[in-house]
Amino acid sequence: MSAFLASAVAWYTAGILVFFFAINSYYLVLTVAGFWRTMRVFNEVRRPDQRRLLRSPLTPPVSVLAPAFNEEANVVENVRSLLMLDYPLFEVILINDGSKDRTLGRLVDAFDLRQSARSYEHLLPGKPIRGIYDSPTYPNLVVVDKINGGKADALNAGLNLSLYPIFCAIDADSILEPDALLRLVRPFVDAPGVTIAAGGVVRVANGCDIHGGRVHRVRLPRRALPMIQIVEYLRAFLFGRMGWSTGNSLLVISGAFGLFEKKAAVLAGGYATDSVGEDMELVVRMHRHRRERRQPYRIGFVPDPICWTEVPETFRVLRRQRTRWQRGLIDTLVRHRSMIGRPRYGSVGMVSLPGFVVFEMMSPVVELSGYLLIPVLWASGLLNAALAGTFFIVAMMYMVLVSALAVLLEDIAFRRYASVLDLGRLLAGAVLENFGFRQLTVWWRVRAFWEYLRGDLSWGAMERRGVGAGARAT
Amino acid sequence: MTPVVTLGPLRNAVLGLAAAVLVLALSLFVQRGLSWVTRARSSRRTPHLTRMVYDAAQSVPANVSGLARLGRFDRRLVRSILLGLALDLRGDTGESLTELYRKLGFLKRDLRELGSWRASRRANAAADLGVIHGPEATGKLLQAVHDKDVRVRQAAVWAIGQTGDAATLSGLVRVLGDRNLLVAHRAQEVLAERGREIAGAIVSYAETTASRSGRLAAIQLIGWLRISTAGDLLLRFTSDLDPEVRVKSIKAAAAIGDPRFLETFHAGLEDPSWPVRCQAAKGLSLFGSPPSVPPLAKALRDRQWWVRFYAATALAEIGPAGEAALSAALQEPDPLVRDMARYLLERGRALPVLP
Repeated sequence: MSAFLASAVAWYTAGILVFFFAINSYYLVLTVAGFWRTMRVFNEVRRPDQRRLLRSPLTPPVSVLAPAFNEEANVVENVRSLLMLDYPLFEVILINDGSKDRTLGRLVDAFDLRQSARSYEHLLPGKPIRGIYDSPTYPNLVVVDKINGGKADALNAGLNLSLYPIFCAIDADSILEPDALLRLVRPFVDAPGVTIAAGGVVRVANGCDIHGGRVHRVRLPRRALPMIQIVEYLRAFLFGRMGWSTGNSLLVISGAFGLFEKKAAVLAGGYATDSVGEDMELVVRMHRHRRERRQPYRIGFVPDPICWTEVPETFRVLRRQRTRWQRGLIDTLVRHRSMIGRPRYGSVGMVSLPGFVVFEMMSPVVELSGYLLIPVLWASGLLNAALAGTFFIVAMMYMVLVSALAVLLEDIAFRRYASVLDLGRLLAGAVLENFGFRQLTVWWRVRAFWEYLRGDLSWGAMERRGVGAGARAT
Repeated sequence: MTPVVTLGPLRNAVLGLAAAVLVLALSLFVQRGLSWVTRARSSRRTPHLTRMVYDAAQSVPANVSGLARLGRFDRRLVRSILLGLALDLRGDTGESLTELYRKLGFLKRDLRELGSWRASRRANAAADLGVIHGPEATGKLLQAVHDKDVRVRQAAVWAIGQTGDAATLSGLVRVLGDRNLLVAHRAQEVLAERGREIAGAIVSYAETTASRSGRLAAIQLIGWLRISTAGDLLLRFTSDLDPEVRVKSIKAAAAIGDPRFLETFHAGLEDPSWPVRCQAAKGLSLFGSPPSVPPLAKALRDRQWWVRFYAATALAEIGPAGEAALSAALQEPDPLVRDMARYLLERGRALPVLP
């Protein structure tokens, strides 16, 4: 029996080792593919024909939808920054999703808002709207005050009110670079009617100098927690998503910054109000909708339009965020499980969805089982300490390699962090990530399974230090 | 029991990975250092070279003796300076820059690059030839429009828009019906800027082409360019079987604004396709008159929100007669009609862009 147990443990350990190599190789391939695609896009956009044509008469007007819940600290500053966007024709629709603080009051005061009898198209159902406000000073600003129904419900309300064929979903607390919209709209200008969604890059604002709703100087935060997240964002959200977009199999467009064709989103059913991962869920549903009807489409990722967002600075808030992300991921994959492995859904069904199941959804479970195995083996006298230690170092080194590569590629492609010292700190972040941060996120992500099974749909509050308030967030 | 995983390979993996991480970290700092050196050198040389370029451009004939002796790094800088200036300068100065570019051999190089095996190089060369406005490039650019790579074709279409004369631009009209949407779209963008010079060719293409997408693009261009000679054709298209053709024709007709279209718009309000009804109402919001009030008041009861919206907008634009119709609509039993009338009475004028 003990021989059988020892053999089983040995094989399981080998399985975990293979999984570690597979998951890190998966990130490595995605990072390299993402970088290749980024450089290709950059070469294209630098061409004079591309630079000039963005201001052509074909540039479509855009409705910017910004749901806000208890955002009184930053809301005025952020709306001002949205109104200053460099774009030919756009409207800003801020949806106050039943805030309990003075979000609406601050907006009314700052923009001289007046209640409007604005009529709108009831395309998607949602919680009742209490009032619609227009600003005589800013004719392209609309504020919607509605009963709280969650972010997806707020976005659906914004969609109902939007007048333009393309909408940009952003977080009210995010800061867009002035030309971000102009850059993100490029796939829609290139292939109208075919491009149905495009995602932009979300970067970490903590530590940056921000005044008047603009990022004036990009700097790294002093604290380790947000800095580690910068490395993580580079690896997973920048090059990872760029890599997936190569084969039209991108599954996630961040809720903080994405551009969608309104008609395609409405036909797919709009945002799911019963999901906490509404951003991913909508993208997967749009893939599904188009592929089932065999309609040509493109969902892209553009590497140069940038949206700045504040990441959690405390473990408590980070835990809420990560469990919510994981619950959203599980929910979306479970909802659309019938697409997995089906050739009918092309690269989405055959590559990206199975990849997400194995490497995104299940990876924390495998990783945690690896950690749990150590005390079990130790207690049963089967632990080979040298082997376990070396294995841990290999896994960590591979992770550091992928992160360092992401930092290097960021420096070649974007160079947002000017000082050489910053590079050193980012590399240190890539190493530090493996000591505590990674294990904690693994634990939270496993806990998310339990929360998902309990039917937990809560978002949890995000405590912000106020990136747009003028002070330098640390 | 034989261990499945042994320590030896794992140790080797550690060493290999450590070496890879080290190499990556080193290359990060090395590439940062190299790019700093290049940037410093180019910022030191650029003012001097720009002055040289200006002097050479102002001398008649262009004197390139100083520029021709430059090293490789400086020549690359001179080329980018010339391209940067040519992007914004036209007229005599623009021609001098083209002459300089030609005399320094850059134009010949770009023409050679158009035959490169790398598509990105061909695309860059095509775009640069467009920036520099070299007339001798037109023939090669026309060939590049049929390149196998979409990027090259897009860049070539744009370049022809920059350099081509009316005869060359006429060749682009056919590209409106190109199977590749990206290329067709680029041709449409280019013609939206320069299409006035070949209005006749666009109208004739819209009339004769068998390509549906090409016809739709040409009708759109007629509207953007306000080609009034296409009035009869548009009137014919407004009764086409294809609703998309009807929509685009009514939109183009509204942009041209010929009073002859008024009856067509009134008829369009009864069209079975709602986008056509919507465009007809939008057209009437641009130049409707009191006789349009009764059909618009009827359209205010349409089941489609956008038709109601534009009908109400048109009524608000028409003036007192339209406003009276909107006020009367406040008594309608249907709350959707009442809401729209109230909104437009309050808001007055609102003309957003249609989906």
